[in-house]
Parts: sequence; structure tokens; C-alpha cells
Amino acid sequence: MGIERTFEKVEDILKKHNYDKNKLIAILLDIQKEYRHIPKDVVNYISVALGISPAKIFGVATFYAQFSLNPKGEYSIYVCDGTACHMEGSMALVKVIEEELNIKPGEVTKDLKFSLDKVGCLGACALAPAMVINGEVFGNLNEEKTREILKKLKERKADENV
Amino acid sequence: MKIYVNGKETIIDDNARNVLEALKEVGIEIPNLCYLSETSVYGACRMCLVEVEGNGIVTSCTLKPYEGMRIKTHTPEIYEMRRGILELLLASHNRDCTTCERNGQCKLQKYAEEFGIRNVRFEKLDKSNIFDSSSIIIRDNSKCILCGDCVRACEEIQSVAAIDFAHRGFEAQVVPAFEEGLANSECVYCGQCVAYCPTGALTFRSDVKELYNAMESGKTIIGMIAPAVRSAVQEELGLEGDMVIAGRLVNFLKMIGFSKVFDVSFAADLVAYEEAHEFKERIEKGERLPQFTSCCPGWVKFMEQFYPDFIDNLSTVKSPQQALGTLIKKYYAKEAGIDSEDICVVSFMPCTAKKFEAEREELAGQVDLVLTTKELAQMIKSSGINLKYMQPEPFDRPYGLSSQSGLSFGKTGGVLGSVINVLKEQIDISEISTEEEEKGIRVTKIKIEEGKELTGIAVFGLGKAREVLERIKSGKLEVDIVEVMACDYGCIGGGGQPYPNNSAKREERAKILRDTVGMDVLISPVENYHMRELYNKYLVKPLSEESHKVLHTSFRHRKRVSGEDIDILPLPLDEEEKVTVNVCLGTSCYSKGSYDILSDLIEMANREEWAENLEIKGTFCLENCGASPNVLVNGEIISEATTEKVRKVLEKYVSKEKA
Repeated sequence: MGIERTFEKVEDILKKHNYDKNKLIAILLDIQKEYRHIPKDVVNYISVALGISPAKIFGVATFYAQFSLNPKGEYSIYVCDGTACHMEGSMALVKVIEEELNIKPGEVTKDLKFSLDKVGCLGACALAPAMVINGEVFGNLNEEKTREILKKLKERKADENV
Repeated sequence: MKIYVNGKETIIDDNARNVLEALKEVGIEIPNLCYLSETSVYGACRMCLVEVEGNGIVTSCTLKPYEGMRIKTHTPEIYEMRRGILELLLASHNRDCTTCERNGQCKLQKYAEEFGIRNVRFEKLDKSNIFDSSSIIIRDNSKCILCGDCVRACEEIQSVAAIDFAHRGFEAQVVPAFEEGLANSECVYCGQCVAYCPTGALTFRSDVKELYNAMESGKTIIGMIAPAVRSAVQEELGLEGDMVIAGRLVNFLKMIGFSKVFDVSFAADLVAYEEAHEFKERIEKGERLPQFTSCCPGWVKFMEQFYPDFIDNLSTVKSPQQALGTLIKKYYAKEAGIDSEDICVVSFMPCTAKKFEAEREELAGQVDLVLTTKELAQMIKSSGINLKYMQPEPFDRPYGLSSQSGLSFGKTGGVLGSVINVLKEQIDISEISTEEEEKGIRVTKIKIEEGKELTGIAVFGLGKAREVLERIKSGKLEVDIVEVMACDYGCIGGGGQPYPNNSAKREERAKILRDTVGMDVLISPVENYHMRELYNKYLVKPLSEESHKVLHTSFRHRKRVSGEDIDILPLPLDEEEKVTVNVCLGTSCYSKGSYDILSDLIEMANREEWAENLEIKGTFCLENCGASPNVLVNGEIISEATTEKVRKVLEKYVSKEKA
């Protein structure tokens, strides 16, 4: 069975913001949180509901880095490639993740479990090299530690299915 | 107001919108690339910098003039800055000028020449460029300077908003939603984006080569010229003010191989005549009112796209272009003894949307090629023939005669005025008065018998049309007939007219056309005896069976959003094991509560056993908006749906399946 999708959650979000077209960004932020991206049909749906042209919503959704038109993974991994992390070998971490998950930065695994992005400074330079997964910071990383973290997350997935 | 410009005392208009406009009035055209007096101020290009005493260097488009202000418009510093801006723009600009549609008419090219840019100091950077030729409007983003003129024209003037800026920084591009082609957007092809684009980023499809191909293939070429063409083509030919240009064009076209040249104004008389009778009939029956004119293809697509509930209110009479095309292929071909397959009908139009109209499914084949005023001018110039020396010749019979009414179709108010002129013959009209409510909306009151009154409104600009529609919808406006022309000032401001195509030029064209109309000796379509002859010979009378067959057409609702259906409750079953329900979530249906039906259905499918084989999908527009909300069950459409209504149909299908 495919992903179950209704517009119920979208309607809830729209209701929460009073169907106010001036709150488009707040609405899109909630949608991004809910779906981990801004789905095309949701753009069309809120375009109808708010009376804003789809081209305008598309413009907003592509302007801000907070929004993504492609789904992010259930675990979205952001590897820091700021100066400090870069010097401490962040690219090696990226390479490990690429190997483990078979995706490149900006991509998501086929099962939508993991996504990988390279970002500028995360502000955790003291912990370089660092990465953030779903808001949690992992610091002082090396290749070994990174592999372990991924392994744990993958197992968690296995647990869920049992 | 007194200000000091470059040290000189200057009196400017107190109400000027900004310094840029104020100085234009007194003969200083400050260079600019993103300023349009027709839309909001954007202030992005920075070309219009001026130096204000006490305020430094600022953009004149965003600067309000004040008493005694001292400004310098052309200092070495400003000159250097403007050059720098131009160089930066050119660094990422596709500079294939010789093969560009805007060659010689591009604002960026003009400034590059005037500022003597011979060398760009910056490295050439190529943007990831979108080239969209999916429709008759062609977008080449490698030539886009992100001035936003098209975005503002589309949204603010036309209220279509088919395009907008997407992405950020160097990646920024102007595109329809999801980077679709324009053909898959709400675009109505009015070409106002083309009219206002300062570079070659927006152009329209040229069909000149197609014409020469048709000539070479030995087809009989029959031309027709729209009224608005003869008010603007002069601009390209150095023949400003020439009132007999139409006759010269006829002579020119004959000279290069056209066998006949007819007048679209003749068909305009015919259309007005037919439309007036249609209006009278609707008034008598009290149905499908207010009647909307339908000769503007941009407006028609706008209705189909955004106001499908009003589609039945459109006059079903074809536009003059399509009516004349039909007459030529159906009657003239027979009379002249030519197989209609061997005829190539070419219409010369001020309009980009007319190219789209000629290709509409239900109209295809009536007009073979549509060439704009610009394409016509290009043909004339490439021939080296100076029209000044061409003797004017009359349009060919039998479709060459026109009244003032038919000629005035080229500008706002023309269609409504013509319909009223015909009505005068039908009903007693004691008084007609017209008032301009605001720019773009003119209201005409027509006093008829028994103290009754009819109201007509002539609108230009689709943004204004939307306002009028909303007022009608909410019951705030009572009106019997509405004329809409999509472009500001009517067809004379069409997207296929010469550059510059701004309000000032359009006002000049309106004057030329008014003068041309004034010279015509026939006033009303009813006086056009060649048109009446057509009824005697073939059409019998207005709204007859033959008239309907030849002169009338149909419209359809259009999906606003392209794309596939959305799975909401998908079922991994074979087609025959499930019942598929498709709930429309398009604008009309959504506003009439289709979402509630969808929620009810989901609940039904989740809770009630009999409904477990329902596969529920969402769709954007079933193209039946007049009877919204709509739900589709296994291909059967349920109009004006309620949950109960859908349940009944579903039960029928489910029991059929069980049996």
C-alpha cells in the first residue's frame, strides 16, 4: 500500500492559520514539518484554499532553505561542512554516509528513511566534525562513530517493523 | 512644484508619482530597466540612480519629489555606476543579439550601445537556463535580467499570476509553478509580458516562415487585417499619422502574392449584428445574463480558467477572426471555385492570443496562420518596399466593407458600442449615456421603452475584469452586458503590437483608430449591405440554424492545475474489484464544499463494511465547474454532489460488483 495521504492535516494547518494568505510562510513551515517536504499536490491544494497562484507559492517554497520540494528522510542528516568541521575531516564523514546509505548530499533513500545534506556552520565548532540528525547534535565524530550511529538508526527501523 | 535639475530651475507636476516620471514629462528620460508606470514600483535594476543634495545617490523611481529639491541626473559617478550595472547584467546575459527576436528593439542592447560598453570586465557566467516554447509565448531565461516586469504585468495588471520568481540568488528564475511549461499553466497568452519585457527573454512564436512556405506550396493565400493593426504598424514603418495605411497594406500584400485581402472589420460588423440579436433574445427570455462578449481570446481563456461558472454567459458568437475564416473556407471557396483545402487563410492581428485561438480544437482549420503586427512590419521591411509609395487599394469584396462599428472593435468599448448600434434598430432607445467609473471600466446606461434601463459595461485589463466579475458574483453590480478586452486600451495594446507598447503609445493608437473610425461613412453594422447580403444569400437571419452552424462556437472549462490524480485511499486491488471515487478539489468545487464530501467518504470507507472496496482519489478539476461540486464514480460524473447523492451511486456500484 502506498503512503496514505489525505488533506486532513493540510486542512488542520490551514484552519490553525485562519486560511490567512498573509501567513503563507507559517503554513508552509507547518506543512514542511508534517510531510518533511512541500508536496506538489499540497501546493495546489493551498493555492486553491488561500487564493494564491501556485507560481507564487512555488516561488516562496524555492526561495527559503527551510523548505524542500523533495521529501527529506525520516532521519534527516545534516553534516556540517563549515570551516572547523571541514578542517577536521567532515568530507570523510560524508563519504562514509554516502557509502552506507547509497545516497549523495541532497538525496533521500528510496524507503524515505534517510536524507543527507551538507550545510554551512552548525555553530558546534568545538565538537568538530559534527552532524545533526533530527535536531540532535553528534560531535567529535570519526568514520567509526558515524558508521555506528547509522547502524543504530537502521536497527531502530528494523525494530519498528517487528 | 519647483525643483532644481542639474542646476536648472524646473517646474514639475505636483502629482508626479516619482522623480523618474516627473522628469520624463520635462524631457529627461532617466535610464531604467525595471520601471513600468503601469505597475507597482520595484526598484531592482538600479539604473535610474540620481544624486540628491543631502541624500546621496538614490533610485529616482522610488523617490517622491519635493519642493526645492536639488538633483543631478548625469554625473561622472552616476555614469560609471550605470556602466557597472550594465556590465554586471551583460556578464550573465546571452548576447546572441543578431539572432534575437528583440534585435534592434531591446532596452538592454540600447543602453549597452549608448553607454559605449565594448568590453565586459567580468567573467561570463551562464545561468542554468530555461527555454520554454511549449506555447505561443516563448521564454528564454538566458536573456532574462530579472527585472520582474512580466511578473508584475501578469499579476497586477492581468491578475493571472501564471509566473513568478523562483529560487534565490544566482539561481533565481522567472517560471510558472514547478517549472512547468506555460502551456500547462493558467497563462491566457495575452502577451502583456511580451509587451513589457525589456529584453528578448519573452517573445512570441513567429509564423512568418510558415507563410512563405504556404506561398511556395502553391496555395491560394487569402489575407485579412484587423482594425488595431492599422493603428500601430505605422510606428514600425516611419509612417506615423498615415490614415490610409490599411489600403497600402492591401496593395502590399497583393503585390507579394496574396490573392485576396479582406477586412476583419467586416466580420466585426457581422459578429456585432449576431451578438446584438443574441443579447436581445437573452433579455427577452431573461437567461444567461449578463452576457459577456467573447471576441477576445485572452479573456475567453481567462473565463474558462478562473470563472467557469460564468461560461454560459459568454456570447457564443465566434470572434471576427474565426467568423471570417469560416466564411472564406465555407462560402467564398465555393463561389471562387477553389477547394478550401487549397486555401491558406492568413490573419494579421495585434494579438498573441489570436494564434492560440486559431489553434483551439473547436476552431482549428478556419484560420491557417495568424501573424502579428510586428511580423507584418518585419515582412514589409525585409521586402524593401516602401509603403509610402504604395497606392492605397480597397479591401476585396465581398468581405471588404465595414461600418464605424466594425472598425471600432480594435479598442475598448468598440464591441459594446456596436451591439448598441444594432439594438437601436430593434428596440426603442430614448437615451444613451456613458461614464468612466475608473480607468478601465466604463458604464453605459441605455434607456429603453416603459422607463426600463439596460446597463452595459466595457472593461479592459483582466485585473479589472476580475473586479467586475467579483462584484457581479457578490450581487453588488447589476449589469446586462459586459464587454471585456484582455489588454489595456483593448486590441491596440495587444501583445503582438510594436515596441514600445506602453500606455502612452496605446493612447496614440486609440486616437488614430478613433480618427479612422470617424472617416467611415457607414455608422452601424445594419448599414453594411454586404453583410446583409450575406444573410440574404446564406445565413437567412440572425440566430438561424445556418448562423449557428457557421458563426457560433463553444467553450470549455479548463483545468487550472495540471498533473495526475492524487491517491488518498489507494487500494492494491485489480480494477474490477474496486470502485474508484474521484473527488474534485478544484477552485469551484472546493469553495462549494467538496472537501467535506471527501472527508465523509474517507470516513465511510474506513468505517462501513460495504464501502471497504472504495478507492478514493482527489483531482484538480473535472472540467465541469458550472455544476460543482463534482465527484466521479467509476467514470460517472455526479454533479452538484452531496455526500448522500454520492452514497446512493456508490451503493449501486458496490451491489453490482457483489452480484
